[in-house]
Amino acid sequence: MQQKRILIKDTDLKKDRTRDFYTAFLTEIQDKKLEEKVQLVRVSDIGIYGKGLTVRVLPENFLYCDVETGDISRIVSESVVEGRPIEALLHKPDDKQLRLVLRNCGLVDPESIDDYIKHDGYQAIATILEKMTPEKVIEEMKISELRGRGGAGFPTWLKWKLTRAVEADQKYVICNGDEGDPGAYMDRSVLEGDPHSVIEGMMIAAYVIGATKGFFYIRAEYPLAIERVNRAVTQAHEYGLLGENILGSSFKLDIEIRLGAGAFVCGEETALISSVEGKRGYPRPRPPYPSVKGLWGKPTVINNVETLANIPLIMLKGGKWFSSIGTEKSKGSKVFALTGKVKNSGLIEVPMGTTLKEIVFEIGGGGIAGKKVKAVQTGGPSGGVIPEDFINAPVGYESLQKLGSIMGSGGMIVMNEDDCMVDIAKFYLRFCVDESCGKCAPCRIGGTQLLHLLEKISEGKGEIEDLDRLRRISRAMQKAALCGLGQTAPNPVLSTLRYFEDEYKAHIVEKKCPAGRCAGLFHFSIIEEKCKRCGLCFRNCPVQAVSGNRDQGYLIFEEKCINCGRCFEVCKFEAVSRG
Amino acid sequence: MKKLTKDDLQAIKQEELKKETANWIKVGLSTCGIAAGAQDIYDFLVEEVKKRNLGVSIQRCGCAGMCYAEPLIEVKVEGMPKVFYGKVNKETAMKIVEKHIGGKILVNDHIYDIRSSQ
Ligand SMILES: Cc1cc2nc3c(=O)[nH]c(=O)nc-3n(C[C@H](O)[C@H](O)[C@H](O)COP(=O)(O)O)c2cc1C
Ligand code: SF4
Repeated sequence: MQQKRILIKDTDLKKDRTRDFYTAFLTEIQDKKLEEKVQLVRVSDIGIYGKGLTVRVLPENFLYCDVETGDISRIVSESVVEGRPIEALLHKPDDKQLRLVLRNCGLVDPESIDDYIKHDGYQAIATILEKMTPEKVIEEMKISELRGRGGAGFPTWLKWKLTRAVEADQKYVICNGDEGDPGAYMDRSVLEGDPHSVIEGMMIAAYVIGATKGFFYIRAEYPLAIERVNRAVTQAHEYGLLGENILGSSFKLDIEIRLGAGAFVCGEETALISSVEGKRGYPRPRPPYPSVKGLWGKPTVINNVETLANIPLIMLKGGKWFSSIGTEKSKGSKVFALTGKVKNSGLIEVPMGTTLKEIVFEIGGGGIAGKKVKAVQTGGPSGGVIPEDFINAPVGYESLQKLGSIMGSGGMIVMNEDDCMVDIAKFYLRFCVDESCGKCAPCRIGGTQLLHLLEKISEGKGEIEDLDRLRRISRAMQKAALCGLGQTAPNPVLSTLRYFEDEYKAHIVEKKCPAGRCAGLFHFSIIEEKCKRCGLCFRNCPVQAVSGNRDQGYLIFEEKCINCGRCFEVCKFEAVSRG
Repeated sequence: MKKLTKDDLQAIKQEELKKETANWIKVGLSTCGIAAGAQDIYDFLVEEVKKRNLGVSIQRCGCAGMCYAEPLIEVKVEGMPKVFYGKVNKETAMKIVEKHIGGKILVNDHIYDIRSSQ
């Protein structure tokens, strides 16, 4: 018998009994005298969540879910020894992820151009230079229906076509690697893990619009990304993939790197352009759009890192292939940085149309510590929260906008009962106020006023009229601010108000913060009826604010309590109340 | 270095494919991995493999996405399934060298078996 392997993991969200099952399997294996031929392994994560004991049998690759102790003997005798599947337990894994942009991340050596070439790197540009006119490339991009991944979702083919149509002695292409959304790091990962695909995307864009000069704009806080891109650009120059007469054609392109100082507003295209020009990163009114008057007044295409990384693949596999993935209006895949109160945080990529629920539960493994998910935040400071009621919403530009959020560049933060929505709104707003360039009044003054109101509410000094004030100022900013920062800054306020008005009211009317975030608006106390007098809170309180003993029960002294919430966390009987 | 032509690209690709080895370990060396200590694991593996003459090529790669499990390494040796090991410290790395590579036994409690359907 060939070497067999049994991989096991208890995927129950509340209690992990992998070790118990391990013993049961081991006994079975020893009883059948199979120790030599079968190896039993406990795995950390089997990619399936909330489906009880999950077992994989190798090399046959049978995957079983919800396995009971009673099934163990059968699995060993039928599947392991005889190599037959047990149909009733069989689980068909369906991989929710689709790695297009991340195709090479984790696969190629980002510091080796040869490794990129081995994985069909620079094939797309080579084919284009050999036999495709710029118009033909635009046509293919149009068929693909790729839209910009930097936030706004503008059709890439159209941006290219408009820029191509403008007559000029010089044009530019810029890769926007500013990535200012707190919590997002998709672009950093692509630049660090697969820099050549972004360079190839820029080459294709440059060829199409007729640019001979390109710039990477990367924030200085990304030293490794800068180092890897730098190396990749140098390697491409050495191979003659950048410079003059690229791949024997008349196409030429030079690429340079510009560092951003990490201002959020510098991700906005007109501010970014002035930053590359060496000026202060102030936005300016559009039109004229960069496609007409961009860098140094010349026609310029600005594309996001992820947009560019998609392009070589689209040109290799065809626009039709790409547009067969996703939804009617949002094609292809999207990378998200999944973080917050989720079991598995990380970088994920899914086809458009995948639901938030699939992302959070099937890929992310659900809420942290089995806690109920309250909302999902997308789009960072320009986006909003989507409550759990709408967790079946599919990912796409329009679908998330309809819910009062945006897809944005790809930050996705999972929130639970410990997150206060007023606090969340305050956090994002403070970020925008800090990052506002101050050029226009609606953003400069409106943002500050909004923040004051939110601070007032979170301190328990709010009045019910403040809710209307928040809405009014928000609407004014959306209409009157000069750039996207100010126009979208109220989104977190509006969306939390839309779905969690109750929480605002709790702060204003009852002077309470249900999530226990806003200092002064909550306190901890012990619910006598539920208390089992175990003493865990007593032992865990760092400031000895809990007094009492196992006979008489326990009390929390408010004067001593620092609201750290330790007692609330450690109590196994939900006998500590917060409110 | 001379300028590449389209044929040269093909030649490099073929050359690289020929260089492929049956036994390799990929270490995720992006910011998330490095922050979790992946560079030390990389150096450790390079050292051990050389010392023991194991004939396993240690390679660098970007983030595979499972940032919660960094340092994350992917291991492929002949006669064994290809697996990801996560939260690898030096002790686990040593087990991987001794058990997985040396003894052809999978190491308990560190496998992240999440993309095996591909
Ligand atoms: C305040 C603000 C910040 C932005 N930050 C980024 C950013 O970090 N990265 C990015 O690609 N686009 C950012 N954008 C969007 C850019 O202005 C621009 O639309 C985008 O780079 C275009 O590329 P795309 O068509 O490929 O999406 C930001 C916009 C605003 C208003
Ligand atoms: S909206 Fe804000 S960031 Fe944008 S130009 Fe006005 S002040 Fe500056």
